[in-house]
Amino acid sequence: MANKTLLVAQREYLENIRTKTFWIGILAFPVLIAISLAAGFVLAKLKQTQHYAVLDLSATRIGERIERQARSGDMEALALQLAKGEGLAGAMQTLQAELGSDLAKLAPSADPAKAPDVPPEVRERLFDAFMKLPAADVEAMMSQQKAMASAQKYRRKTLADLGLADLPPAEQEKELEARLQRGELFAYFILGADPLQRLDDFRYFSKNVTDNDLRGWYERAATKIVQDLRIAEAKIAPEVASRIKEQVRFVEKKRDADGRETAVTVADKGQGWAPVAFVYLLWIAVFTAAQMLLTNTVEEKSNRIIEVLLSSVSPIQLMAGKIWGIAATGLTLTVSWAVCALLGVWAAEQLMPGADLSSLAAARDPLYLASFVVYFLLGYLLYAAILVGLGSVCNSLKEAQNLLQPVFVLLIIPLVSMMFIVQEPNGLVAKVLSYVPLFTPFTMMNRAGGPPELYEYVITTLLLLASVWFAFKAAGKIFRVGVLMTGNPPKLKEVLGWLRQS
Amino acid sequence: MEYALTLQGVTKRFGSFTAVADLSLEVPKGCIYGFLGQNGAGKTTTIRMVMSIFHPDSGRLSVLGHPDAAEVKDRLGYLPEEKGLYKKMKTAEIVAYFGKLKGMDRSTANLRARELLTNYGLGDWLDKKCEAMSKGMGQKVQVLGTIIHEPELVILDEPFSGLDPVNRDLMKDLILDMKRQGRTVIFSTHGMEHAEQLCDFVMMIHKSRLQFAGTLSEVKQGRDRAIQLDYDGDGQVLQTLPGARRVNDHGKHAEIFLQEGQDPQQALRWLVDHVTVKRFDYREPSLHEIFVRTVDEANQKLALAGQER
Repeated sequence: MANKTLLVAQREYLENIRTKTFWIGILAFPVLIAISLAAGFVLAKLKQTQHYAVLDLSATRIGERIERQARSGDMEALALQLAKGEGLAGAMQTLQAELGSDLAKLAPSADPAKAPDVPPEVRERLFDAFMKLPAADVEAMMSQQKAMASAQKYRRKTLADLGLADLPPAEQEKELEARLQRGELFAYFILGADPLQRLDDFRYFSKNVTDNDLRGWYERAATKIVQDLRIAEAKIAPEVASRIKEQVRFVEKKRDADGRETAVTVADKGQGWAPVAFVYLLWIAVFTAAQMLLTNTVEEKSNRIIEVLLSSVSPIQLMAGKIWGIAATGLTLTVSWAVCALLGVWAAEQLMPGADLSSLAAARDPLYLASFVVYFLLGYLLYAAILVGLGSVCNSLKEAQNLLQPVFVLLIIPLVSMMFIVQEPNGLVAKVLSYVPLFTPFTMMNRAGGPPELYEYVITTLLLLASVWFAFKAAGKIFRVGVLMTGNPPKLKEVLGWLRQS
Repeated sequence: MEYALTLQGVTKRFGSFTAVADLSLEVPKGCIYGFLGQNGAGKTTTIRMVMSIFHPDSGRLSVLGHPDAAEVKDRLGYLPEEKGLYKKMKTAEIVAYFGKLKGMDRSTANLRARELLTNYGLGDWLDKKCEAMSKGMGQKVQVLGTIIHEPELVILDEPFSGLDPVNRDLMKDLILDMKRQGRTVIFSTHGMEHAEQLCDFVMMIHKSRLQFAGTLSEVKQGRDRAIQLDYDGDGQVLQTLPGARRVNDHGKHAEIFLQEGQDPQQALRWLVDHVTVKRFDYREPSLHEIFVRTVDEANQKLALAGQER
């Protein structure tokens, strides 16, 4: 008897596995994720270098200082390259020649990943030397040194470069506007006459009003410079000033089993947030599979094959066969994704040796992977029983979709509460939702970062198992009658009547 | 006589609606048995009870000697009225699948499916998907799926509906083949000519009640003989035939019932004068006539019963 259930399941599985859409579905998901990850990276790289000019009307000519401040991060990275003796031959030689004996002052610090301490006068020289480099060299360097991000993204054109150096300011302004209109410049800044007194005549012109990155980057540098100038003007000692400006930061720590303090690592963070990804995958997997079952039941019913099958197998065998066949399909899907994830982590390790990938460690956490598979199975079985019951009373997919509406409204809840629960995995909402069997799989997966107490795992799983059992019983009764019905879908009262029958 | 199927006082209700009322029937082994009746008369419900898809509310049923058809499911073959195949499956696969569901082992089922399909002219279609086939071919595949496990009792619900004449003949041949192989065949139809040509026994059910059952000659016995006429000419004029009690005119063919004591020779003479007679027969009424008359009579009875109440 069980043999026939197996036959039905096997056929169901093979039919699904054989379709192209199934494989596209399996591949599409990881590919989509990979693409979206890569896209952010690539798009950032592809963003065109933005050229800007600065019309410095300030008496103290703060423009140059702002520029240096803005590039200081890049200079540090460059100094690090020089100290290590790495980098591009041509440009580096030029720089080395320029800096001469100053290079010796760039002794590498103890931590090779950290920039050496660059004395201010060397920094000045370095900046000057860097600015004198031919554009092609800079371009080539930038494409190699990821750290020098700002130089890659934003490039200043001096007034001399633009051939405007000798014009009166009013003319310069007019010319800059003309260049902006012609597209030669992405933007230009006008620095007001007296930055120590008023800042409202600092202006920024661009045709692009949505991309504010350049303005923000330049603003941060300008703020620093103006603050320094004002501190100097007020005759506050620099040490005092930096003490005042100091920000309060709490260092994230945790205690290990022995009570020792340790730092909260990226891996810990990954561990905490990973459930969100798992819940999302779980949700998609459960519904892909349950939906497959529904479509399949309705199709089988509407093309009347069901009656032939029922002359050979009992309705319960048929239902069980379908549910298990599609469970196997869904497991294939989820296991493929899990394998993709593991492969992805492995590939990332191979491709980027030395990179800190500890945030991905959660993808290999056995608790997460095991919960994922178990909750997929239980969640799928519960929803499968509901959907197969629904499907068996419908004659067309359209009808089925109408009946599904309320189910989908319920289903939004685990998605909506996802971010909330991951932040408060043992909060009241999380606890309450865990005990609602319809949400147990998602909520418990969601809380895995907590993690919940053992007794909660036990009770919620028992509740879930009991609901699966009841749902199967009920679905069996509805399926038995519903699957042979044609015409209008039955009324709720009729369905309840079937449930009461033994 | 051994019976493949017996029903005793079988009743099936759906809510307040009685689909089959107090039905008793015996189907001898090795015969072809026709279930006749209008749409909704209760034929399909009866068949589904025999297939243990439905269970009767009362009465007793014996299929191949077993009270519960579920026990002998593997020895039955069933072609439902609404036919469907898995569109994405290959023909040989689906026929074999039906066989496996009936308990055949894998390799036998696969082998037998290919053999059957080849024997019935579908050798080129073994590895093609069902969705590519015409309706007639699909029907053939489905019938083969019904008999792959060599069932002792085959039940076909409306096997002829929707088939063109060539495929109807094919279906007829298939049914006769089954009989020759010693299987019992039950089929339901509302095409009376098929029943007349094929059946050893017929029964008719109307509004859930059995109207008659027996061999074809038993059913026809005692009924008025009628003139079976093939003709050319104006059919209207047939209505004025002297001594005619009732004329069923079908355009080129007519069935004429004479009043008692009327001489068919007289009628023939009159007919020759009025239309071009192509064929003239004086014999038992057709199953068609019996069917129509039974429906009329049953409806009148029901109407009378309604009035009395």
